[in-house]
Amino acid sequence: MNGVAEKPGAGAAATVLEVRGLVKTYPGVEALRGVDFNVRSGEVHCLLGPNGAGKSTLIKCVSGAVEPTAGEILVDGEPLPERDPAAALGRGVATIYQELDLVEDLSVAQNVFLGHEPRRGPLLDLGRMRSDAAALLARLGHEKIDPRLSVRALRPAAQQIVSIARALSYDARVLIMDEPSAILDAGEVETLFEVVRRLTAEGVGVVYISHRLDEIRRIGDRVTVLADGATAAGGIAADTPPDELVRLMVGRKVERLYPERPAGGGETLLEVRDARALPAVRGVSFEVRAGEVLGIGGLVGSGRSELLRLICGLDSREAGEVIVAGRRLAPNRPDRAIAAGLGLAPEDRKSQGLLLDWDLTKNITLADLGRFSRGLLDVRGEREAARAQLRALNTVPDDPGRRARELSGGNQQKVVLSRWLLRECRVLLLDEPTRGVDIPSKAEIYRIVTELAGRGLGVVLVSSELEELAGICTRVLVMREGELVAEVDGEKATERELLSHAVVPTTGPDLIEEVA
Amino acid sequence: MNQAAALRNRFGALQFQEYALGLVVIALFVTGAILRPDTFPTWDNVRNMLTQASIIGVLAVGMTFVIATSGIDLSVGSMVAAAGVFGGTLVDPSGGTLLFIAGAIGFAVLLGTINATAITLGRVVPFIATLAMLSIARGLALLLNDKLPVGLLDLNGGSYGDPAPFSLLWFGTGKILGIPISVWVFLGIVVGGWVVLNRSRFGRYVVAVGGNREAARIAGVPVRKVIFSVYVLSGLMAGIATVLLCARLGSASPVSGNLYELDAIGAVVIGGTSLAGGRATMVGTFLGVLTFALIFSLMTQLDLSTEIQQVTKGAIVLGAVLIQRPEARY
Repeated sequence: MNGVAEKPGAGAAATVLEVRGLVKTYPGVEALRGVDFNVRSGEVHCLLGPNGAGKSTLIKCVSGAVEPTAGEILVDGEPLPERDPAAALGRGVATIYQELDLVEDLSVAQNVFLGHEPRRGPLLDLGRMRSDAAALLARLGHEKIDPRLSVRALRPAAQQIVSIARALSYDARVLIMDEPSAILDAGEVETLFEVVRRLTAEGVGVVYISHRLDEIRRIGDRVTVLADGATAAGGIAADTPPDELVRLMVGRKVERLYPERPAGGGETLLEVRDARALPAVRGVSFEVRAGEVLGIGGLVGSGRSELLRLICGLDSREAGEVIVAGRRLAPNRPDRAIAAGLGLAPEDRKSQGLLLDWDLTKNITLADLGRFSRGLLDVRGEREAARAQLRALNTVPDDPGRRARELSGGNQQKVVLSRWLLRECRVLLLDEPTRGVDIPSKAEIYRIVTELAGRGLGVVLVSSELEELAGICTRVLVMREGELVAEVDGEKATERELLSHAVVPTTGPDLIEEVA
Repeated sequence: MNQAAALRNRFGALQFQEYALGLVVIALFVTGAILRPDTFPTWDNVRNMLTQASIIGVLAVGMTFVIATSGIDLSVGSMVAAAGVFGGTLVDPSGGTLLFIAGAIGFAVLLGTINATAITLGRVVPFIATLAMLSIARGLALLLNDKLPVGLLDLNGGSYGDPAPFSLLWFGTGKILGIPISVWVFLGIVVGGWVVLNRSRFGRYVVAVGGNREAARIAGVPVRKVIFSVYVLSGLMAGIATVLLCARLGSASPVSGNLYELDAIGAVVIGGTSLAGGRATMVGTFLGVLTFALIFSLMTQLDLSTEIQQVTKGAIVLGAVLIQRPEARY
């Protein structure tokens, strides 16, 4: 192994993976237009780029899932056979995709060795499988995960550790992680970083893909920025200022990621008093005022989504009151909550927010059909109203006849917002509105949210990205184990402070969940 | 271009299947005309086919709403028998057309309401709830008049020749502009069903509930009310079908309506309404009903036995579901 490092790093930083002039064309689309990229042993190399920049295509080429049109992929200086996932794994290039590909009903050990089970003669060597899996987990610092447990019993964060153990079982020298933090909350991200640090200390090169700029700063050594299928910046330092990274990504300067913070301070629109629905929500009281963006932060599982669902009457509450404009809302009546002026953009746009096979018109008017119904529905009026909403939010495409499935995540989110704006709701409840959305679209959603607050709406923003809460909220509430534990003024909020409130003080979150 | 997309969407992606099915209907008719030129393409035969199709057709309109919510109603055939016998016992020995119609429709609506209650309040899956009703209603049909059919030939409006207008038998044999009354009723219900499905808030809610129940609930759709309503509606349609059937036969038989649920479900599915819910087409259902009617009229004229027809029917329904499958995303 010869050092082809551009500059001498700590220790012998040999290049383990090198990609030169990679081109991939699909009929009518140039997904990659000559990408250069290399990973050194023991570094975390972040890959950054908006959706559609070619990140996924690049990792699919490297892992052997698709065949590149031109260019070279070298592992330890030797070319990798094309379109051969087994060969890539054999040479130590392992990939963990965003959607974890574990078999939920198999045990941890069976998942780790799936496809290359240790054998004794014709039979599986279960004892060795278990002990080897335990050893791999211990190497990652997670000896608490029992190899005999079925994967279904583990939380997503623990499942991810199992995926990493599986990658290690192939003697991985390069580990590619596609948005590993997307499914994790702030505390779990820390656990993940700890695992990544252990791996790099062993000399593994890690390719880390994420939309979260703060993570790149914290875990990364170098960054490669992709834009429109080409390398916009190759291997620059990970502490490059975020504004600069965003500029590289979008090819122009995004004015600012976070717009002016709304001042709030209007009349009380929504009041929640001692709301309870055990075990998720254990007595929560707060109020939302006109003109503010009220953030609710906390770890995944702290009860934030459940709280929003309870407020909207989607789940039953055991005690407490929800008061909108002076009137108490009946529990379990989402229709009345909507009539009172509440609107929820749920956590999972695809499965809860939209009817993906419906056109945009029907998706937007669904909550407000009364407006168009005079005996019969005025379908032309519906279409025009939908078009006006789509244009007001710069949705692409703004053709109300398109199917919701065809839109990107950010634009689907705008369709959900359009629905509630058409309905003229007074309080918008947004559950993880920027999850899986690229950075330019995030900036746009932030702008829309603050504009709406400026127009006198009350906005409740639930998010796992504490940085975003600190960035745009007037006030931030922190939830932990079903209770509100802190209120922080938005101007003064920092990610670190919010995180310190969100995590349980004594021990880290236990990754192993009771089997139901 | 924008205009074209809007136009395409206005009529929905279902257009293709509807056109294709329209061509199938024409092709079947042409085939019949070639194979049996003397008997098939005659006005008598067409009228006959439509009259027979009208009963299944009315059931299929109700079934379209049920299936659009991703539900199913297996009990419609048995409900037809039970409602007929119930209405018959009300008017036997003395009673008028109006009492029969009110009794039959009322009883079918009652049974549909029991389905609806079991499914929404009892949270029984539609398949099981209506399967149970299939058995209950058939049992009631046999119990109500001691397994015997009820004669209804007296309900002719007191006339000695053709039945008087608006008497029960007139609904079975009468004509307006040469077209049988039952065909008019069927066409009216199809048109009404189209309007409700495509141009009313209720219709939009029905498809939303079938397409994504949780998303519909979050958008404020009264999900349980909607589901309740479609099973009551299916009962109402079964009641109307009962009246048409009894009017044509001049009696109410406890063994009538056998396997009508399969014909109705088959017509709906062939028409392109998705069994997974979220996609429904009334035009498709109408064409599906015609397709079934043409196929069996043709098979009868070719002297193929009812056993063969039954095998064919099942095979067509299975085939239609298989064709639908790749479009469904799980």
